[in-house]
Formats: sequence, structure tokens, C-alpha cells
Amino acid sequence: MSDAVIDEDDLAMLAAGFDGALRGVDADAGTKGLVELGWLEVLEASPAQGIATAFAALGSAGSAAAVLDDVLAHALGLAASTETCVVLPAPGRATAPGRRDGDDIVVDGVVTRRADAATTAVVVLDDGGVVSLDASALPAAEGETIDPDAAHRRARFTAHASVVEPLDVAGAWADAVAAARAALAHQLLGASRTMLDQARDHAVERVQFGRPVGSFQAVRHKLAEALVQIEGAAAVTVEWQPDADPLLAALAKSLAGQAARTSASNAQQVLAGIGFTTDHPFHRWLKRTLVLDALFGSASTLPAEIGAELLARGEAPRLLEL
Amino acid sequence: METAEFRRELTAWLDRADLPAPSVGPGTLDEQVDRYFAVKQALWDADFGRYGWPEAVGGLGGAPLLRAVVGEEIAARRLADPGCWSMIEVLAPTVIAFADPALAAEVVPPLLRGEELWCQGFSEPGAGSDLASLACRATESDTGWVVTGQKVWTSYAQYARRCVLLTRTGEPGSAHRGITAFFVDMDTPGITHAPIETQHGRLEFCEVFFDDVVVPAERMLGGVGQGWQVAMDILPFERSTTFWHRGAHLLRRCDDLVGDVEAAGPSPSAAKALGEAYQAVVAFRMRSRATQHRLASGAALGAETSIDKVLIATAEQKLYETARDLLPGVIELDGDPAAGSWREEYLYSKAATIYGGTGEIQRSIIARRLLDMGAES
Repeated sequence: MSDAVIDEDDLAMLAAGFDGALRGVDADAGTKGLVELGWLEVLEASPAQGIATAFAALGSAGSAAAVLDDVLAHALGLAASTETCVVLPAPGRATAPGRRDGDDIVVDGVVTRRADAATTAVVVLDDGGVVSLDASALPAAEGETIDPDAAHRRARFTAHASVVEPLDVAGAWADAVAAARAALAHQLLGASRTMLDQARDHAVERVQFGRPVGSFQAVRHKLAEALVQIEGAAAVTVEWQPDADPLLAALAKSLAGQAARTSASNAQQVLAGIGFTTDHPFHRWLKRTLVLDALFGSASTLPAEIGAELLARGEAPRLLEL
Repeated sequence: METAEFRRELTAWLDRADLPAPSVGPGTLDEQVDRYFAVKQALWDADFGRYGWPEAVGGLGGAPLLRAVVGEEIAARRLADPGCWSMIEVLAPTVIAFADPALAAEVVPPLLRGEELWCQGFSEPGAGSDLASLACRATESDTGWVVTGQKVWTSYAQYARRCVLLTRTGEPGSAHRGITAFFVDMDTPGITHAPIETQHGRLEFCEVFFDDVVVPAERMLGGVGQGWQVAMDILPFERSTTFWHRGAHLLRRCDDLVGDVEAAGPSPSAAKALGEAYQAVVAFRMRSRATQHRLASGAALGAETSIDKVLIATAEQKLYETARDLLPGVIELDGDPAAGSWREEYLYSKAATIYGGTGEIQRSIIARRLLDMGAES
């Protein structure tokens, strides 16, 4: 079932608005801009369209704005609010980040920049329970990350049961995982398109041996391959809906992560010397995609999860009919 | 008719229809062709084979998407080889579009009824990826047009009753401007063919020789010099419905591989390899699905279908390499029919990056047309 309630023209306007709100501003201003443009309302009214539009813009602009928390909160059935951050799973995994250990809640997860502004942190436990705690109880950054904008950081801590409050939520962790994977797939593809554009522009402008380096077939085919992988992953990602087979979100995230790896690597090679410096902005997208790829299962870990699911079902599903 | 409802009725009929049993081994080419005719005729008699084709050629109308549904369900059940099937999707729409309406009304119905096969005379020894350099000559005479030259890689020429043929009618250097298409009867005097044995053991492809073959002027498709347009018109069908059918076959083989891996005792590394193969097939399938819907909405397909082509070739080779890895020795050494199918299809998959424009040609088109990178040096 499609939840497409926003028509094509309005969606294009929304996309342009989101994009404008994220470019040339810092992460916190970006988050604020999206919220002012109605991000939370769109997420509520039409989650697939809202997620697609916002996260493609985030990826494309390279913004560190923190709205993945809202996607998780919404899927869990919590009222999404900029005052709430939701702890993400540990890198490379999609299991709930918290577990009970006697009277303690032990958390091994990741948080977005939302953690610094929020008042409440939500932790999903591996037994299906959900708890909230005062966001000030979250640990400070452990140190620098690869990402200059530190869009995400680890959150490894233990909280005594007395400081957490159990939450009764309508949604399941699996739904939150699927929504987050779809969001991250859109973001990875937005970022991949930007890296490809950067490399393409460089290739047509940069002259060596008396001609643009983009006239050489070896260079052209690297960028063509990146576009093929981006479009293949995008064809899967755009089909995600909240009620889709969860396998679809896993496939979207896996394919988008792979497309991002290929785009980053091929764009890096084509950008050559300038792309290796911080004079060129490429490195920001490269570093961001490395983090995004690792969240909720990576292009390296997801194929095994997908294959195990096929073996469990005993078939290779069509997923969608014509 | 709505596609979901059509599919329900079709699958219900397929479940009870008296059709050849699904193929378990590669079989001979004769067997494949016979099976194709039997399935096609049964579909026609039950009307399912008539939907999606214009009434002027014996069809029942409706969206061409319905044809994609039929081809998909046939491939998913292994009822017919996708190769035979693809020929109709490539050639019938072209003849309907470019032949005189009376000629189309006469010649297309037997093809759709599964009474005959056609072939496509495009490639030549000196014109593979560079199709516009073709040299097979057609010269106007008092009796019509006289064709002399050679074609190669002509699938099913030995079975074909008709041929959609590209010829050079302009000056030798006239490239894509001097090409004219004809609709030729394969039993015309002067046409001979010789099969080519491919590495997958099939005599599916032929060399076809034309020696002063007289073709009536009314068998011209389009006008003089419009052959390139005819060839380009085939592209959307080749890249949409035909690919969709082939994708359905690949998904079915993914399904088979899941069963074979389960039986052989799965491992984490096998699961990972299986996941990688399946995701490549799904990426193609979703891309192809979007292409089908774009075509159905009246959009003109163009260079962006080179992406579909690279995706399907990548998925096909990935799937069969994975089968080889996960079923040790089956493709190389085993003699049972199921192993024979894996072996034949494994070897055939190597052609996926060659036919219909090589992987390199596709990537060059993508760079030039989709990434707007200017001319290649």
C-alpha cells in the first residue's frame, strides 16, 4: 500500500525547501530549518515520502542535521519531538542497543547530535522493552570521530534502573530498524550523487595531456559504474513503505552502502590530488558515508543477513509485483 | 484489464492448464523450440497470449504491461526458454509500427499464435558494437530490392520463417543514415545459413548468407534510409519487456539456488554470497519495474536504459558465479539434468556483457549521455 499523500509538485517544492534549509548552515540550524518547514508533520502524514525527501537532501547537502531520531521515534510510536533522542545500535549491527544486567541498563550504541540538545533519551532493549532517561545522563563524546561535523558519536554507558523510566510503545524495534535503514539508504544515495557530481565536474574541467581527463575512457567508466550502482540502489530504496517487507529496507541499505563505497572510491580516484586535500569538500561526504554505511548494518554485514533470511524462507521473494 | 487481476487469472489458469512439464535440464534446442510453441499456442487459445497486443494483429488490446506479466509467469515456472520468448517482444512491435498495416495484419498473428519464429538480421562480421558500419547491401532493381551480404549472431535463423533485416542502401560510408530495413521471408531463394557452435553448447546462433536475394519493395519497413530508426525503435522493447522476462528467469534461478544451498548445508559465508547475488537481481528487478511503468505511461525510453542493461548483465554474471561457488563441482563436473542447466546457463551468462551492446559501450553511453561528460578521446 502506498502512503503517497503528497502530490508530485508539492513534493518537489518540499525537496527544494529542505535542500535550501540545509545548505550553508551548521547542523543545528539545519535541524531547525527542517522542523520549521514541517518535517515532523510530513513524517507523521506520509512517512515514506517525508523520509525520502529529507534524507536525500541531507545526504546531498552533506548536512549533519539530526533527524534520524525522529524516524526512530515515529516508527516506535512515540511522539516525535526535537527534545527526544533515540539511541541507535552499535556500528555494523541492527540489534537493540540496550540490555538489562541485574539492576542496570547496559547500553552499547550510537547517538546523533540530537543527544546534545535533547532533554530525553530513549533506549530500546534487546528484550523488547523501551526505557527513557534524562539526556544529561548520556556520556560525553569519547573523543574525535572521523567526521569533522561529528554527526554521530558512540554512546556506551551503564545506567542504574532507578534513573530510567519504562515506556509503553506501540511500535516494534523491527519497524524502527526498517525505517532507519530506508532513511540511511536515501541519505547514502544523496551523498553518493554529490560525490559523483564533484568528480564529474572535476573530470570535465581538469586538463592534462592537452585534453580534459574526463575524455579518457578509463575515467569515464569509473563514474558510469558509480551511477549504475546509485540508480540500482535507488530503484529499490524508493519503493520502501512502512508496511513493506522488512527485507526491502535491508536490501535498500545494503545496496545504497555498496553504491556509496563505489562512488566514494571512484570519485576519490578521479578527483586525484585535489580530492585528497581539505581544499576540496569531497572528504566531508566521504567521511560521512563511512559512518552512515556502518549504521544499522553495513554493505559488508547486510548481505549475510539477507541471505540468511532467504534460507529461512526457503525462497527468493519477488518483493513487488509489476 | 488491471495487471493484478490479470495475473491472478493467468496463474490460476497456469495451475490447471495442460502444458508441458517445467524443464529440469537444458534439453536440446529442438525441444526448447517445441516447448515454446506448445506454451505459446496454449496461451493464445486461452486468450492470455492475446492481451497487450493490438486488435489489428489479432490481439485483444490492453496495456503491453500484460505481456510482461505473461512472460514473467512463464519464466518463473520454467515453462519456456526466455530466449525464444524475447524474439517476439523485440520484433513484433517493430513490424507493427513500421510495416504496411495490411502486411502486419497478415504476418504478425502466426507469430503471436506460436506457429512460427522470426529472426533479427542486424549484426555482421564487421558490424558488432559498431552496428552503423553494417555492409550487407540492398540495391533497387526492376523486381524489387536485391540483397547481398552476410549476417552473424542471428538467433534461431534455422527455425525462422521471417527476418527483420538491416541493409546498406546508401553509400558505403553513409553510417546510420544509409540503412534500410526489410521484412524478408527466410525461404526466399539465395538465403542460406550455417549454425555457430557457442561455448554453452547451443546451436542457437547462425551465420546467414544473402546471395542476390530478391525482396519485394512492399516489404520495406519504414522508408529508404530509415533503418536506423527501425533499429532504435526496437531498443525500448528489448530493454523493457524482454529484460523483465530475463529478470524473472534470474529470480527463479535465485530461488533454485536457495533450495540447492539449503540442501547442501548452508554456512554464514554461503548466506553472504547468496545475499549478494539476490540483491544484485533485486536492484535490476526494481529498476526494470520502474522502466516498465515509465514505458506504460507513454515515456520515450532512451540512454537511461543503458543502466538497466548494465544492471541485468551484472546480476546475471554474479548469480551464476555464486552458483558455481556455492555448489562445488556441480557446474564443472556433474552430469545430471539440473547440473546441465546450471552449466549451460553459467557459460551463457558470459555473453550478458557482450550482446546487445557490450558493457563498455553501455558505460560509454552513460558517461556521454547521462553524465554529460563530453566526447571520448
